Amino acid sequence: MTGRARARSRGRPPGQETAIPSVGAASVHQALAVQPPGRHQPHAHPSLLEEPGGRGRQRAPQSVPQSQRLQISVGFQELSLADRGRRRRDFNDLGVNTRQAIEHVQESKTGTSGVMIKLTANYFRLTSRPQWALYQYHVGYSPEMEARRLRSALLFQHEELIGKTHAFDGSILFLPKKLVNKVTEVFSRTRNGEDVRITITLTNELPPSSPTCLQFYNIIFRRLLKMLNLQQIGRNYYNPNDPISIPNHRLMVWPGFTSSILQYEESIMLCVDVSHKVLRSETVLDFMYSLYYQVEEQRFRDTCAKELIGLIVLTKYNNKTYRVDDIDWDANPKCTFRKSDGSEISYIDYYKRQYNQEITDLNQPVLISQCRRKGRSMMPGPVVLIPELCFLTGLTEKMRNDFNMMKDLAIHTRLPPEQRQREIGRLVDYIRKDDNVQKELRDWGLSFDSHLLSFTGRVVQGEKILQAGNMFDYNPQFADWSKETRGAPLICPKPLDNWLLIYTRRNYDTANTLLQNLFKVTPAMGIKMNKATMIEVDDRTEAYLRGLQQSITSDTNIVFCILSSTRKDKYDAIKKYLCTDCPVPSQCVVARTLSKPQTAMAIATKIALQMNCKMGGELWSVEIPLKQVMIVGIDCYHDTLSGKQSIAGFVSSLNQTMTRWFSRCVVQSRGQELVDGLKTCLQTALRDWFKWNKYLPSRIIVYRDGVGDGQLYTLVNYEVPQFLDCLKSVGKDYNPRLTVIVVKKRVNTRFFAESVGALKNPPPGTVVDVEVTRPEWYDFYIVSQAVRNGCVAPTHYNVIYDTSKLKPDHIQRLTYKLCHMYYNWSGVIRVPAPCQYAHKLAFLVGQSIHREPNLLLSDRLYYL
Amino acid sequence: MDKNFKEEKFTGITKFTPPLYRQRYQFVKDLVGKYKPKKVADLGCADCRLLCMLKFCSCIEVLAGVDICGSAMKEKMHRLSPLPVDYLQPRERPLTVTLHHGSVAHKDHCMLGFDLVTCIELIEHLEESELKKFPEVVFGFMAPSRVVISTPNFEFNPFLPGVKLFRNPDHKFEWTRLQFQSWALETARCYGYSVEFTGVGHPPRGMENVGFCTQIGVFVKKYPQTSASTPSEKPTEAVYKTVFKAVYPSLKDEKYLQNAVVREVTFTAQIIKQSLLNHLMSEHGEYNDDPIKRKSKFQPSVNCFSEDLGKLVVEKSTESFVNGNMVYIPLATIFSFPRVNRLCGTFEKLRKLVAGQVTLSSDGSAVMLSTEHEDN
Repeated sequence: MTGRARARSRGRPPGQETAIPSVGAASVHQALAVQPPGRHQPHAHPSLLEEPGGRGRQRAPQSVPQSQRLQISVGFQELSLADRGRRRRDFNDLGVNTRQAIEHVQESKTGTSGVMIKLTANYFRLTSRPQWALYQYHVGYSPEMEARRLRSALLFQHEELIGKTHAFDGSILFLPKKLVNKVTEVFSRTRNGEDVRITITLTNELPPSSPTCLQFYNIIFRRLLKMLNLQQIGRNYYNPNDPISIPNHRLMVWPGFTSSILQYEESIMLCVDVSHKVLRSETVLDFMYSLYYQVEEQRFRDTCAKELIGLIVLTKYNNKTYRVDDIDWDANPKCTFRKSDGSEISYIDYYKRQYNQEITDLNQPVLISQCRRKGRSMMPGPVVLIPELCFLTGLTEKMRNDFNMMKDLAIHTRLPPEQRQREIGRLVDYIRKDDNVQKELRDWGLSFDSHLLSFTGRVVQGEKILQAGNMFDYNPQFADWSKETRGAPLICPKPLDNWLLIYTRRNYDTANTLLQNLFKVTPAMGIKMNKATMIEVDDRTEAYLRGLQQSITSDTNIVFCILSSTRKDKYDAIKKYLCTDCPVPSQCVVARTLSKPQTAMAIATKIALQMNCKMGGELWSVEIPLKQVMIVGIDCYHDTLSGKQSIAGFVSSLNQTMTRWFSRCVVQSRGQELVDGLKTCLQTALRDWFKWNKYLPSRIIVYRDGVGDGQLYTLVNYEVPQFLDCLKSVGKDYNPRLTVIVVKKRVNTRFFAESVGALKNPPPGTVVDVEVTRPEWYDFYIVSQAVRNGCVAPTHYNVIYDTSKLKPDHIQRLTYKLCHMYYNWSGVIRVPAPCQYAHKLAFLVGQSIHREPNLLLSDRLYYL
Repeated sequence: MDKNFKEEKFTGITKFTPPLYRQRYQFVKDLVGKYKPKKVADLGCADCRLLCMLKFCSCIEVLAGVDICGSAMKEKMHRLSPLPVDYLQPRERPLTVTLHHGSVAHKDHCMLGFDLVTCIELIEHLEESELKKFPEVVFGFMAPSRVVISTPNFEFNPFLPGVKLFRNPDHKFEWTRLQFQSWALETARCYGYSVEFTGVGHPPRGMENVGFCTQIGVFVKKYPQTSASTPSEKPTEAVYKTVFKAVYPSLKDEKYLQNAVVREVTFTAQIIKQSLLNHLMSEHGEYNDDPIKRKSKFQPSVNCFSEDLGKLVVEKSTESFVNGNMVYIPLATIFSFPRVNRLCGTFEKLRKLVAGQVTLSSDGSAVMLSTEHEDN
């Protein structure tokens, strides 16, 4: 695998992104905690958070807790807040109304260009009876009753008054009907014989589209899913009765659904998508066994530690998740520990007695988990876990990089449009056919459309690829021009005058073949090439580094390393050295990639292109009519494994044609804020822009990727003002127009194009800015890439700040154009190129370098 | 000594360790462990805590709970649902958990045929009329092999601080040992049971004569399974309302068994393959650079974390062989591994279960795996 391929398998060229479901262990945990049904009871009123028994659901912005008011940048707030993950966020970013502040889209936010196309989407309209309203009551007790269970029990002694259909959380009662009096008083008696006066006061009469109602719909819908016997994991619901087993990789896949009900442009709709939960049917002990036969004896413990530490495991007896912090090789299940009552007991006996769990392997080591959460009933201090009783959770980075595994998984999880639509239809069928569910819906006076939402979208015109005086059209169906532009001269070829080729003895032939192939492919591109300085080294990291130290001079254009294996440590060491201490562009390729004769020329071509970019060359461009504009891309990388650092990649354009990019990154350790870092990035970016152009840009357009669900509020209120501050600080008269666009790849929205009775993926260039967008936002969807199998995922763009006065059509077109500019892929990708560049940079730094690369490299795409 | 004791007497016993309710549940659990009943019912199951503990007992195949308060059951009933891990590693025996909403004063057909019925802190909540019907329903109608009844010991109350008359305002009565025992003996005599008395929650030192805090009667049917007489009584129509039912995945279900077997076979085959390839490589390695390092690599492990499997794999890998870029691992070899063996029982069963699920050699005698490295 080349260095590129390594990163690619994670940050695959976005056009080809495998839509593999996330297996977040944290989400498993969430779902597994056995929850009282009351947890899903509505809490609408932020002020009611203080009520007894009320566990409020987070709703921005009214109820943003104090801690969030600190200046925190989005994407990082979770990592910098001490109480991360404890609060419930509003995943739908309700209540962030950014459109109202953008003047020129008050009337309309829709574009105009392109050809109309008939589309359907995975949405169903929610309809309610005419004059429908939801009645919200406050329920008070005198004397005050604390226990929520008691409060419900007392209230529902009066079922003849309230009716069978209700939702109650201990203080707020929702009913589909209006009680005769505004205030109703009833009396109940507790089992202790105490008389309690209950006062039911009507507080609100909610129209179908009120925010509280939306929350209420979601609660009711969850109730329905539970009635259908689906198991909740995280935010989604799965059907455990028909698991798909993939024994080769010890995986199990549960089919399921993700759903949400929201107010969209025209109506309230239910969005349903197919979701797959990947579970690992492998205990930690199994994992250790198979690892044992893969590595050398003396490396076994180290490898074990490397692979296991940081993983989340699920214990089979109590269904809790723990993070593995250490492995104790000196302990085994026969060891004893002191129980809370002071008695001494062995692990075998403890698990036997407590959970009836038989431990069969008595020689296994034990896992240590440091309990981080406070306020639980658990004893403080490390928790000891038995590998045999722990299941692994989540796909590791290594598994995601395993091509075969992902392929086998994709067979089950990537459904082509027709099949996906069928699966989605199944949920609607379940709902329609289940009598209990139907009754519940009827009682509330609600119903769902039985057909997918259909509407018209637009397919914008394809772009022409400009390359050194030539103009190429490509087949818009494939969104790829690698064939068309093969052998054409590049816009700006960089010569390979002085370069190093490092290899091990075993790969001597490979190195020579590569050299010959490069000599064959480079002339057509216009790249002048001298023979490389060939350096043979031992297959050890130190040998590579010594070779580099001895041979690199100030004239070295680029370093080419042929690696003998995919071992990450060697790659990391080389990249770290060449990105920080000794800033030279580098290209690492695994020998095996080069060894196949049938693909050798194609690989050599790609490598030549990539090396050219890394040295500051330019490949192609598209027409960009907008002048004096600087495009910025930002993405984040979270080092979830060690949990220590987060990295923000920042990339900005340097020229009019968007072929040269400046880059920086912010390495943020836990507890630090990102915003200051981003300000610095923007300042240096402007300085560099000025150096190149001799003037400052009059427009700045920021594409912000890496924003999680529920973080929009923070972004709008903290990050954008910081950008504005930064621009103000540049100069008194400097007043550029700023546009900030949030880019979101992970959306549940899917579009289907109808073509001769069948459903297909919409073609690249499809723009949707009606029906499924949100009325309070200036947002749109673009399908920019083409996929060979499965369903194409549209990318969601949300313009949260805009003083550019550019028409929506222009913003949409510009965005689509930028998706053509990613040089590591001769085709259209899922996101604007700067976002993908920022992603690549952050990924490289987060995975291999761990600190900011040398700024001497900052005007080149060395991170590709 | 004396002083200590006095203090104890004055302050009373505020706490038992472990808590008394847990001691009661543990008592039931121990009983289950001892007699291994297949069908267990808990009358007055309330928040299903006892059922939750019992679902871990592998001997139990049917677990039922009954309570008069539907909302109490509903609140916590989801903790009785199978968890993802139950699907990942299905139980050996089937398990069905059912919750019924109903009164112990009523007979319902679904309560027949149980091996053990527990009534933990139940009878003292019954109204007089209900208590009167209770023996007939439990001992006469349900007629399980064993019944466990626990109830507060009234004589112990002076040691509990804050208790005026009864321990809970909903208690309709609390009995002394004599009262409970005479009721129990009479009931046992009437329905052909023997009864033994015990309890949990020891009294303070020197006060042993008051007995346990909770008194327990364990009833055993004298003439096992004369069940023929029971159904002759006109079976009543269903008066209980089923509020919850969960069927656990188990290896008795072919679907889950097959999954488990295929998984185990694949896992074993992969380990053997790796061991075999390592072995071959180390033989080759003699000619390669760095011979010292390689030699030490596949010495039978001394500090291997599990010697049994290690040895087995090394031994067994010799029965497998490489042909071209395929490794052949005989099914018989795989069958000799304890976990596979235990799952399938017979070799025939193994063949049947893996057919079509795993790539086999043409004669079906060996599992075939490619030697190609995993990532391409």
